[in-house]
Amino acid sequence: MVLARVSKLHKSYALGRTKVSVLRGVNLEVREGEMLAVTGASGCGKSTLLHILGALDKPDQGTVSLAGEDLFAASTWRRDTIRNRDVGFVFQFYHLLPEFNVLENVLMPRMVGTSTWGWMSARREAKAKAAEILELVGLQDRLKHRPNELSGGERQRVAIARAIVNEPRFLLADEPTGNLDAKMGKGIMECLHGLNEKGQTIVIVTHDQQIAALADRQVRLVDGKIES
Amino acid sequence: MYKLILTVRYLFSKWIAVFSVLSVWLCVAMVLIVFSVMDGFLDNIKQHSRGLLSDIIIDNDTLQGFPYYEEFGEFLKDRMPGEIAVVSPVIYSYGILREPVTNFTKPVRIVAIDFDSYRAVNDFSDSLYYNRYYPGTTSLTQTQVPVAGIDGYDRPILPPSHELAYQQYLKDRDESNETSEDFSEPGFRSPHGIGWFKQRFNTPRMDGEPLPGIIMGTDVIYSKDKEGFYRRFLERGCEIILTVLPLTHRGTIAENPIPVAMRNVDDSRTKVYEIDKICVYVDFKLFQRFLSMGSLERVDGTFTPPRASQLLVRLTDDQGYKAAQPRIEELWVEFRESLLDRLTLSDAELIEGVSVETWETRQQDFIQAVEKEKVLVTILFAIISLVAIVLIGVVFYMIVIQKTRDIGIIKSLGATSAGVATIFLMYGAVIGVIGGVLGVLTGSFVVANINELQALLARLNPNLQVWSPEVYTFDRIPSAVKPGVMVSVFCMAVATSIFGAIVPAMKAAWVWPVETLRYE
Repeated sequence: MVLARVSKLHKSYALGRTKVSVLRGVNLEVREGEMLAVTGASGCGKSTLLHILGALDKPDQGTVSLAGEDLFAASTWRRDTIRNRDVGFVFQFYHLLPEFNVLENVLMPRMVGTSTWGWMSARREAKAKAAEILELVGLQDRLKHRPNELSGGERQRVAIARAIVNEPRFLLADEPTGNLDAKMGKGIMECLHGLNEKGQTIVIVTHDQQIAALADRQVRLVDGKIES
Repeated sequence: MYKLILTVRYLFSKWIAVFSVLSVWLCVAMVLIVFSVMDGFLDNIKQHSRGLLSDIIIDNDTLQGFPYYEEFGEFLKDRMPGEIAVVSPVIYSYGILREPVTNFTKPVRIVAIDFDSYRAVNDFSDSLYYNRYYPGTTSLTQTQVPVAGIDGYDRPILPPSHELAYQQYLKDRDESNETSEDFSEPGFRSPHGIGWFKQRFNTPRMDGEPLPGIIMGTDVIYSKDKEGFYRRFLERGCEIILTVLPLTHRGTIAENPIPVAMRNVDDSRTKVYEIDKICVYVDFKLFQRFLSMGSLERVDGTFTPPRASQLLVRLTDDQGYKAAQPRIEELWVEFRESLLDRLTLSDAELIEGVSVETWETRQQDFIQAVEKEKVLVTILFAIISLVAIVLIGVVFYMIVIQKTRDIGIIKSLGATSAGVATIFLMYGAVIGVIGGVLGVLTGSFVVANINELQALLARLNPNLQVWSPEVYTFDRIPSAVKPGVMVSVFCMAVATSIFGAIVPAMKAAWVWPVETLRYE
């Protein structure tokens, strides 16, 4: 079953007076439960594609549908809700909130999606769930630590835990091992693999062929198009 | 939920927020202090204008005064029955005060009053110091010095009249209405003010030759030394000589100056420096005679009508003075016309200049000037508030710039633009509330202790003495904070802080997450 469908996607950026086309009619399907790797040379538009897939960026043309719903035909409010409930992001540079500890960072998507009064009743269950996920990624002893007290690999695992805490329909990982050494990178990939085995749909953007080889399926982005 | 948590976390993790709180805090305190002092000043003027005069003032603004004041008082009571509560005549003149032992002299303004009706027509009674502790013992007629005795256990025994009065005071006193200020008047060392015999077993008594009483304005008998302390140089009960210049109804000096031996019976503190520094209060009938304003026999055997400088009228309805003024004015015209056939030329001139005014119109120029000053201060503080808004805006803008990446992260987790904007608006509101509360507390403390603080500053450096009673009329800086002003300033602080946060909040709301998350 197709979870996400991208068709005729175009995206360009203005670089001074020059308009640079990054995506030129991309067509892609992501099936439920698969682990898809998007590869390509640096600057070929992999991250842009991923950002548009997760509604972090807007396309110039084309459509993106998630479980049949057109992301960019929906209202801003609806898109924010989809980003909160159906999409989880793992970034190359972790992007954790420095003022919050590990547990709070993981809880943040739950807090964003819950009203103040709702949080009062859901807090206990949410904390238990976050602790459980942190245990899953091997950080059960780091709950009260701040991001700056963690190693790169640990930070990325916190980012993964944060991305999956709301049980999203698909997980988008942008060069998740790009900022880590080989050993840590391997650990992160094992972690993602474990999630995929439990049925989590994952799209990984990477330029590392070894990482891409671990995915169920690979697509290559060349000159703004998916190479067939 | 994240909005509240982020607001609180940013508040305590960002030192820069302290500057916003500080600016709101200082701004609120400053506005509250200036507003309270200005407001208190205006209230003082209004309250004292009425309290020292009366509802309606009838005079001709001359030292000779005007005749037929008694008849007009009766006429008024007759034509406005039930509306006129009290009518009291007053004479104003000038004299020289001399203390015969030290030969200390001072020019004074003589206010000759009918003690009973004058106390009923305005708040003069409240200004009397000794009369508060010994009610009913202050008198402007022949009086002696009260002297306390000492019993076998060194305890003071008051003269019977004063003992009775003091017991009455203790019975009637309302401690809730007493302030520390009541016991810390300049130079008042004890509330009793009674002379003492030093030997034991002396009986209390009224001592000295009976003399007409004189009530002195506090600033006539006190002087301020270099250290800022008040020192009394005329004791209660002392004899003084008041020399007066009698005037004819034409304003010429009637005869040689007349020295009158008198006894200081009480102090009057109206809190209006301009009055307390120069006024002394004496008996109306006595000084009407000394000032040649009483009834005098003419060459043809007829008598001149007695004169008074002013007629004060108190109405039964406190709020009815504006409506009563034109009616009393009409009655004055009617009364004046009824006198035409018996007026001499000079009396007619004096009568012609008589005007009827309310306490408000009498002080209108002054009140309006202060009200305009208040508007000016309001405009100035509106500008200062704008500066605070800009400052808060700048601080918040810096926070937004610093936190752009975090905003992108929160948005990538599904936060809405409105939610992100709310974080910064709440942040502004919290800063406004904290700064507002601190400002209101600081401002209230400063206003409540403003006179003590000023005295302290003046002791450190005399140039820091900013309040001058000569300039500002009142001897003390108004020190009351109105709850309404407090609430308004607080609300203004919160609104200002939220307003200052609007632009940065909008910038934060417009952040497109991908722009901030693309790079480290």
